[in-house]
Order: sequence, then C-alpha cells, then structure tokens
Amino acid sequence: MDFDDTPDEAAWRESVRSFITAHRDELGHRGARNGRDDVPAAKASQACMFDGGFVGVTWPVEYGGQGGTPMQQAIVDQEMARAGVPSLINLIGIGMCGPTVIAHGSDDQKQRYLQRLLRSDDIWCQLFSEPASGSDLAALRTKAVQDDNGDWHVTGQKVWTTGAQIADYGILLTRTNPDVAKHKGLTMFVVDMHAPGVTVRPLRQMSGGADFNEVFFDDVVIPDSERLGDVDNGWRVALTTLMSERLSLGGGGTDIGVGIDAVIEHSANRLSSLSSDQQALARQELGRAYVASLGIRYTGYRQLSAISRGESPGPEASAGKLAGTVASRAMASYAVRLLGQEGVFARTADGSDTWQHLEAVLPGMAIAGGTDQVLRNVLGERVLGLPTEPRSDKNAPVKSAPAGGQQ
Amino acid sequence: MNFDLDDDQRVFAEAARDFFTGTASPADARKSLDGDAPTAPGRQAIADIGFYGITVPEAAGGAGQSVLDLAVVAEQAGRVLAGPSLVTAARASVLLEGDDKRLAGLADGSVSYAVVDAPGAPALDAATATRFLSRDGDDLVLSSGTVTVGDPIDPTRGLGTVELTDSEVIASGIGERWDRAERVARIILAAEGLGAAARAVEMGVAYAKEREAFGRQIGSYQAIKHMLVDSFVGVEQLRSLVWWAAWTADESAAELPLAAASAKASAAGVLEQAAETLIQVHGGIGFTWEHDAHLYWRRAKVDRLLLGDAASAFDEVARLALASAPTNAPDPAPVELEPTTAS
Repeated sequence: MDFDDTPDEAAWRESVRSFITAHRDELGHRGARNGRDDVPAAKASQACMFDGGFVGVTWPVEYGGQGGTPMQQAIVDQEMARAGVPSLINLIGIGMCGPTVIAHGSDDQKQRYLQRLLRSDDIWCQLFSEPASGSDLAALRTKAVQDDNGDWHVTGQKVWTTGAQIADYGILLTRTNPDVAKHKGLTMFVVDMHAPGVTVRPLRQMSGGADFNEVFFDDVVIPDSERLGDVDNGWRVALTTLMSERLSLGGGGTDIGVGIDAVIEHSANRLSSLSSDQQALARQELGRAYVASLGIRYTGYRQLSAISRGESPGPEASAGKLAGTVASRAMASYAVRLLGQEGVFARTADGSDTWQHLEAVLPGMAIAGGTDQVLRNVLGERVLGLPTEPRSDKNAPVKSAPAGGQQ
Repeated sequence: MNFDLDDDQRVFAEAARDFFTGTASPADARKSLDGDAPTAPGRQAIADIGFYGITVPEAAGGAGQSVLDLAVVAEQAGRVLAGPSLVTAARASVLLEGDDKRLAGLADGSVSYAVVDAPGAPALDAATATRFLSRDGDDLVLSSGTVTVGDPIDPTRGLGTVELTDSEVIASGIGERWDRAERVARIILAAEGLGAAARAVEMGVAYAKEREAFGRQIGSYQAIKHMLVDSFVGVEQLRSLVWWAAWTADESAAELPLAAASAKASAAGVLEQAAETLIQVHGGIGFTWEHDAHLYWRRAKVDRLLLGDAASAFDEVARLALASAPTNAPDPAPVELEPTTAS
C-alpha cells in the first residue's frame, strides 16, 4: 500500500502541471456553471488540453488518445481541479459516446468521429431516456424503420438529454422490432443533431438552469452506415455506454458538486457567527460530511488501484455514485443551514449563491445516470447476488405493453 | 499509488480467518452471555498464534509488523466476535514501547494487560486482566487492581471498572505516546467493527436469498434489498477508511489523528446499521435469543461508546479540518455539475 505517486505518476503529474501553468490564459477559469453558456470558450479550453495530450488519456493512440492508464487520467482530473481549469465541455462524449463508438463502431466511424470528439470540434450527447422510459430504459418506443434504400427513418421523442442544445452528434437508441422482448428489438445509431427533423427543446430545471433537453425526431433519416453494432443488438451496445457512464459518474472518488474543502472553508468563515451550542452541533455535522467524503475518496482510490491491476470496472462503481449523491446532499443542506436566515434567499447579500444552487441541483443528480433506487437494485442484484424483482414485461413485446410513465 | 493489500497481507488474512473461525464463534459469545463461559478464543490461544505480538518489535519477541497487518487480522477477529480484543494489545504495545521485557509478556500472553482511561470508566478486556496501564499527567503508570464487572451488554468485550492498587510509574513524558496509542486503538477497534459489519451483511444477504414470503424470496423486495445495499455500501466505505487509517499509523504520522477519528466515527455507525438491518431482515427470528443477530447488535451498541463516541470523533475530525482551513477567503467557484441522462 502506497499513496505516493510512483516515479512515472510523479513525472506525469509534473507534465500536466507545467502544461496547465504554461497555458493558463487559454484554458480559462472554472467559474461558469457549466461550459454551455460560453461554448466557444469551453471548446477552446478543451482543444488546448487535447493539444497538450491530456484529453482521452485512456483512449487508444490511434483514435487520438494517449493509451494511458486510469491513474494518469485521475491525475489530470486532480490537477485541473487544483488549478481551477474548467471541466471539459465534451465529458459525455469522452466518457460515454466515444467508448461506445470504439467498442462497436465501424472503422470509418472511428476515423470520422473520435479525434474530433476529443478536440471538441464536435460535441456529443447520449439519447437514451424517453418520457415513458427513464429507469426502464429498454421499454423505449422511438422507432427506426428501414426503407428500400437501406436508410433508417426515426420517429419519436427523447428526454433528459444533457447538452443536446449544443450537440453536433448523438448516440441514439431506437426500437427496430416491436414484436420481440423489449431488450431484443433495439438498435443503436449515430445521429447528426443538425439533420432535418431533429428538434431540441431545453428543459428548465428547479435550479433555474437548463442542462437537459427534450429531443424530437420527425422522420429523421439516418444512413445505414451510421448504425452502431448489429440490427436489434442495441441493448448490448447500450450496456457499453452505461458501464462507461457508471464509471465516469462514480469512479475515482471524485466529488459530486462542490468539494469538501470548499465546505470546510465556508464553515471556517461562518461558524464563529453561531452560538457555542450551535457550533458544537455544526462541527459534528461537518465532521460527518468530511468522513463521508474521505470514505468516497479512498474507496475511489481502491477502485483505481483495482483498474490499474487490469481488473475491469464492475457494477461496484455504482456504489460510488450512490454514496456520492447521498453525501453531497447532506453536505449541501448543512452548508445552506450555516448561512442562517440568509439561507432563505437564493443569493446572499454578498452575491453568493453557491450553496443554495448546489442544494437545488443535487436532487437531479440523485436521478440522472440511474436513480439512487435503481443503483441499489443494481448493487443488490449484481454485487450481493440478491434475487431480482419480478418483471412481468420482461419477455413481452413492447407493442403489447400499456403506455405508462410520465407524459 | 497503490491502495490495496499486498499478497502477504492477503495470505495473512486467510490464515487469521482460519484461526478465528476455528476457535471462536457467535455461539461462544452467547455462552458467555448465558453464564460464565470464557471469551473465545481466549488470551493464550491468540498469543500462541502470535497475534498479540504483530506490532511488537522482533527484539521483544514480536513479529515487528505494521499496524495495517494488525488491522487485517482484527477484521477477521471481528467477524466471529472474538475476544479478548486485539485493541488492547495494539494499544499496550504502543504504550510499552522500549520496554522489551514487558512487551514480551504482552506478546506471549504471560501477562494480561488492560488500559484504564479514567477512574470508574469501563475498560476493555479488564475482566480478565491482571495488570493495568493508566496515565497520571505525563507519566505512564502500571498497576494491579480490583475489577468490578457489571452486567455487560456484550460479554465478549470483557468490560469492567477498575480500582487501581500498587501503582508504579514505568515511563515519563508519554503524552504523545498516549495519544498515538489511543489512535492506534481506535483504528483496530474500527477494524474489528469492519469485520463484524461485513459478516452481518453476509448473514443478512444469505437469509434474504433463502427466506420466502408472499410467494417469492424476500431479497427480491426492494425494501429488503435496499437496506442490505445501504449496509454494504457503508461497509465498503469503512473498509477504505480503516485501511487508510492503519496505513497512516505506519507511514504518515501527520494524517493519523484525522484518519483514526474518521475510521472510529464511521465504524460506530456502520456496525450499528449493519446489525440493526440484520435483525430487521430476519423478522421474528431476528430478535430471539437463539439467533446470532443480537450478538452483533450487542457488539455495535458497546463499540460505539468505546474510545470516545461517534459525536466526539466527528467533532475531532471537524476541528482538525477547520484548523487547516483558510478563512475569509472568497467563496469557492460556483458549482459545476455534469448530469447525464436519466437512463
């Protein structure tokens, strides 16, 4: 057991650090809510990191990556956070869409898409959830029908699509056979988000922001060459995406939301304004939040160590996301309460809304990428080996299922 | 960075598991509760296999191994609710540093030590101890004593209050050493809690696969499944904290106070949650005397209060964190989150 960088890791960290120092102005500063409010600046920042060789570190060299290790990627993430460099704008592309294209795409698709994705020349999104199938993903109904020329015609609606409003491409899961069990009749495509018939409508969230979108497909034509994997084999392709998603959300012990150091700093500034009784209670709560964050960090390190040994990330990664959302919500609630009565305002007198905003964002994080309850099912069934919940529709074709869900 | 046990530690853990499962069980704990049966495997058996001497230097007859090695063994002891506790050995071996003769007696089991924190405070493993270590200002005191054993919630802990007699100062200027000993003890207590909690989750999972109600296995109900998963996630977080804390005891003295308090605070809650979940999953049988669940519950209810309760440990974590925080700095950068689809 050794927490210090190996000589290789230390050299890599130094190269990341000196690159960031040398390109500080081009990279910009963390501060915007997300990169989507200034897309050109965010793209320039990612392109700069790419040119330095620090984007898609674990990707194969032939697709523009570095052929590096998850530990090297974690070091890049740590150094970017430390220096206040904005997160990459194309994280969904890098973390989920790209790995899916690498695993299931044709050579032509890989050549056309992957390097541009890493440079953020093209922004990608993931078009999976539908109004009537969020957690029950395989029940989706957006249909793709092939015409005599071999082209596919897509009609239907997706929802909760992050970044669709700025995306150039998406990976799109469709139903191509309604007569078989719901997991069996699905097919995945790469879709051009600028194609005729694609309409994107942002969804405003309770936090006031609009990260998610509804996406409508009205007879959108997709050439057969844009298919990812075999016809009716889309579920297997989607599992690649979901596995990558799990890892990028919960892996490596990364913070969900503002890091614990910011909470400690906030506490240090605010605690003295409380009575001594209140201070004692607040310290216990801060201690609780800190211990939770340490547990998540070091469990992430265990995962990274396992991955470095060559073990593939399993469903255990879901535990990181679950623990992270639970801990972050407790932390945000504590941080807002430290504001005292000022916490009734969305913005305090000094203009800060960090903690209020975080508290309003986190309920969504407990749903996005698998709800806390779905993740508990995954962990219970796939890690603890508990029996599955009976599923009455598992073998039924989707067309016979009643329409349900939120409309 | 490599945050994992090495091969030797895995082999060591296997050996410890074989030893403890062969020599102790919750059934032994129940016997102690029912009558005056001694705790299992007992002091001499643990000494004979060398586990009291893991962190004792080789010159004093020990193995000269790390706190992490000891934590790995303590986890296995916790799984079967073994006693006497390795916590006492861990703490005494730090307190007796440099005193090779007494360390040898600790390691070979010929002398039975307990550590007394304050007059009238319940002391771990006091029930069977003959020599008591305590602190008087900056002095380390060795005493005989008279032990009063009350009505223990968990008899495997050997708790008793001690009236010290025939005291002798055996070392001076031990303030820092005392604190370090207490922190190492907190880590080993957390390691025993980790083992107990992990075992409780396993037992709950096994029963949830076997028991049927309303026409299906109860583990298929989310109400049961989710309780067990929450316990499991807690155990995995605790495992990380215990390993990290044990590593700091060996390698990173500056982080030890924070890490020890974190592991102790986490263990208190995780073991309680796991034990209470175990009872709940078993339903009616789970709260009977004959079932093992309450033996884990007893361990949880006692351990949470030993070596400082969770509230004081969380408070210590917060004080340490605040002490290193900059103040009156500008607010942190606003939140940057990357939600994905709800699929």
